[in-house]
Amino acid sequence: MSSVAIIGDIDTVSGFRLGGVKQAEVVNTAEEAIAAFDKFLEDEISIIIITQAMANEIREHINRKIGSDVLPMIIEIPDKDGSAGGSSDQINDLIKRVIGVEMVK
Amino acid sequence: MAQDIIDGINPTRMELLSLKNRTKLAVKGHGLLKEKRDALIKEFFDILDRVKGIRENAELSLKEANDALLEAQIAMGDLAVRKAALSVKESIDVDITSRSVMGVAVPVTNVKMEERSIIDRGYGFSDTTIQLDEAAKKFEESLKYLIELGEVEKTIYLLAEEIEATKRRVNALEHIMIPRFQNTEKYIDMRLQEMERENFVRLKMIRSTIEKNEKAAAAAEAAQNAEA
Repeated sequence: MSSVAIIGDIDTVSGFRLGGVKQAEVVNTAEEAIAAFDKFLEDEISIIIITQAMANEIREHINRKIGSDVLPMIIEIPDKDGSAGGSSDQINDLIKRVIGVEMVK
Repeated sequence: MAQDIIDGINPTRMELLSLKNRTKLAVKGHGLLKEKRDALIKEFFDILDRVKGIRENAELSLKEANDALLEAQIAMGDLAVRKAALSVKESIDVDITSRSVMGVAVPVTNVKMEERSIIDRGYGFSDTTIQLDEAAKKFEESLKYLIELGEVEKTIYLLAEEIEATKRRVNALEHIMIPRFQNTEKYIDMRLQEMERENFVRLKMIRSTIEKNEKAAAAAEAAQNAEA
């Protein structure tokens, strides 16, 4: 059995706590986010959900820690203010690089 | 490019033979890698079709959940919601295994999440409202979508990396290694032919010298015989 963790602002975290996620960390700054992220890595959480706003702040840190490992899975979600479009842009970039043509999404 | 050969190679028949074997191997490997790349790309496109719908679903359900949470916050107050949230029991059980796509391990999640009634969630009834129940339900739902989304996106990243690596190898073989082997083969072949021609000429020269000497000797002998 593996568990799910959430890193985000207070409202997102409250929501996911309601949804049944126990490992939750409220963060407001990049430093706090990095600390929370490292803590979850140490606890060997297999799925970490993080708000896009925070993920963008600590993107380098995430990439350095995760690389191409299968676990943990990082899921970026828009917070209550809506999507910043970061994650799907990343996917589009990736596709463009790999296939060599832009896919219309 | 045409002159690109392996440095410091001896133009001998042995080298030529081993080089021919290496070329054969490289061509075979190139073919295999190309097939691998095509298979990976096919797999990649299959998953791309899946991700489109999933991301939209997940974002929509998350938005609904956030709206429901906002309603609960309005009805109960921010602090009460946070307090209730803290006492919710863990609801989700994810099983992550991996599956191999052309040698790339990609995650497969298996989410076990029972439908929970209000009683199972673990917060009290006296100070919570129906809006909170609704929000909790919506978040449980979107959690399911999000995990699915995570699985698919991770798979896409892993496959993309493998495709890039395979592509690089295919290109390296096709444009650098194989031409270099072929050029070197050609170089050795030409050197060997050149050496053969040199040898041939040398033999001709030697023979003509020997014949000349013999002729001179025979002539001398004939002259001596004539004198005697």
